[in-house]
Amino acid sequence: MSNLVSMDPGNLPGLPRPAIEPWSAPNPRRALKVTLASVLPMIVAVAATLLFNIDPAVGLILVFLPLQIIASMWVGTNIYGKKGRGDALLVIFTIFFTIFVGVLLVSLIWSVILQGFKAMSWQFISQNNIYITSTTGLDYGGVGHAILGTVLVVGLTTLVTVPLGIMVAVYLTETREAARGSVRTLVQAMSGLPSVVSGLFVYSAFIASGLAHQAGWLGSLALLPLMLPTVARVAEEALRLVPNELRNGALALGAPAYRAFLQVTMPAAKSGLITALILGIARIIGETAPLVVTVGIANGTVWDMNQPMSALPSYIFQFVGNANDTSIQRAWGAALVVLILVAILFTTARVMSRKKSTTAKKRK
Amino acid sequence: MSEAPVTAPAGDAVPAKRKLSAKPHSRADRVFYGLARSAAYGAIVIVALILVFLLMRSVPTLASQGIGFVTGSTWDAAATPAKLQVGPMIWGSILIAILGVIFAVPMSIATAYFIEFMAPKRFAAVATLIVDLLAAIPSIVIGLWGLAVFTPVASHWAELLHKGLGWFTVFSSDTGIFTGTPFIAGWIVAVMIVPIVTSVAREIFSQMDRDIINATLALGASKSTSLFQVILPTASGGIVGGVLLGLGRALGETVAIFFVLNLSFSINWGQILQNRGGSIASMILSKFGEASSVEIGGLMASGLVLFVITLLVNWVAAWIVAKAQPWRR
Repeated sequence: MSNLVSMDPGNLPGLPRPAIEPWSAPNPRRALKVTLASVLPMIVAVAATLLFNIDPAVGLILVFLPLQIIASMWVGTNIYGKKGRGDALLVIFTIFFTIFVGVLLVSLIWSVILQGFKAMSWQFISQNNIYITSTTGLDYGGVGHAILGTVLVVGLTTLVTVPLGIMVAVYLTETREAARGSVRTLVQAMSGLPSVVSGLFVYSAFIASGLAHQAGWLGSLALLPLMLPTVARVAEEALRLVPNELRNGALALGAPAYRAFLQVTMPAAKSGLITALILGIARIIGETAPLVVTVGIANGTVWDMNQPMSALPSYIFQFVGNANDTSIQRAWGAALVVLILVAILFTTARVMSRKKSTTAKKRK
Repeated sequence: MSEAPVTAPAGDAVPAKRKLSAKPHSRADRVFYGLARSAAYGAIVIVALILVFLLMRSVPTLASQGIGFVTGSTWDAAATPAKLQVGPMIWGSILIAILGVIFAVPMSIATAYFIEFMAPKRFAAVATLIVDLLAAIPSIVIGLWGLAVFTPVASHWAELLHKGLGWFTVFSSDTGIFTGTPFIAGWIVAVMIVPIVTSVAREIFSQMDRDIINATLALGASKSTSLFQVILPTASGGIVGGVLLGLGRALGETVAIFFVLNLSFSINWGQILQNRGGSIASMILSKFGEASSVEIGGLMASGLVLFVITLLVNWVAAWIVAKAQPWRR
């Protein structure tokens, strides 16, 4: 690459583009073969599945896939010779697996949206869960108290964790301390902390030992070690993208380091730091196990962080446990609310990080 | 930083040599750096606190149960002395994570290859966005989907597998019930880690030097040869790291598996279509509610075992990813 760039383009004799481009000429026979190879196996497989009443899954794996492989390998060999065979297999398996992944993931999103909207209504979002049993119709009750609980618990965690995470990132990028490597490794390792273990830690430290009862602030405490690594890592990446010239310029003008950071580095990395905040929230907003263990479940609207309260994930957990049709519907509705929240957070982060990536390119 | 010889300035016009120091000299700076340092040490303290606390609480259990804690398979807190053994759960967690990785890795690599090398640019951008979004879906939503939508489908697959390949021990089943199997839990875990592994693999592919790939093609290699001989060997470190990251997540997964797996305290060595399996995290969630203080100790000990396993996996993953992605330094 670099060699080509360094050559003076002016000295190169320009080759005239050939009038006929042999590589782009349509080749009807080849096109026919490719079309046949991609359509025939499917038709045969569908026909065989319907005619002989084969199970669709069996038909897919045992009829369609072998036929498709044979057909593609034949066409590949026919067009490209021996090396076409491997390519045919590669194309088949790549597309097959990709479609499989696509189907799984689309099914996931689609069922949440479809089932969730059945339960969705204004009262489902605004009302709480008092007097609601597992058989109460969907006309009554909702997730209002759980939304409030999520906002309170996640909000408290965010208030504590984001400054902490950003300061860890500052330690990693702005200082030249010796322990940076081990702190980075440790933060990375922390991101593998199983959420239930974090919940269990808070449970046995505060609840089992009798210091406190299940309460919202304990949930925030249990979420802290789960959110911290995400915030610290993303904030570190964001701070690292700020060119060193800016920092040095500020310092050379006589600014003390904290002012250089607050007035130069931090504004330059603002969008990245907001991304860190958002991704951190997205990381913990769906955490269930720590909340079930430490916050418990409440049916009423609770504002007091020293009381048990419900959050959206624990609401889903509660109603899936009931295993009853309307309960499952409620769970789907709450899942849709969570998914919408995550999607909003994610889109915001995406828009923010798009701005960030332009600075990244300039630096390269 | 070359060290220029300092020559003594002549005359009074030049001020006296200033003392240069890399250390913060104003008080505000010292406070600023002190805050950063204490935050970083705070993070260390949190991890240490969790580890030490778990260790402290689980020592009595580990001492009374001995090696049986991880090898035995009886959980009876009412007996005297209490028998707290979580062998099936530990092995179940590992089995499910392995299954998830087996299912997820081919799918992820194929998807990453498709996005990076085959798909049109616009489509690739959209697919990348979707994959990244899916990595953020909470596990409880996946668990709900797994319970209500996926379990019927997957148990049907399991039944077909059993019918066709039942003579093979792995696919044998003596109950004829195909829900709540490690097979389904493995699939759920796979759905969770596919976006993670895909996005790591895709990033590695996109950072690869295109000249190497083009050179292999120009030398007459087929695309499959270039994938298996050039692309995968070059990217293998990063992909293995990504897979280990996924494995760490799979090991610690709680609610999704809790919904779809039938927890059972009899060890299931690998008959993935039997409707009994184990998972440490789910077991903790299912037991903490009515646990006595003795049982809490047992749960803490299993949490410790889980934490240590995931810690190891994550450390190895971080190390491999860092080695394989020098441009991230």
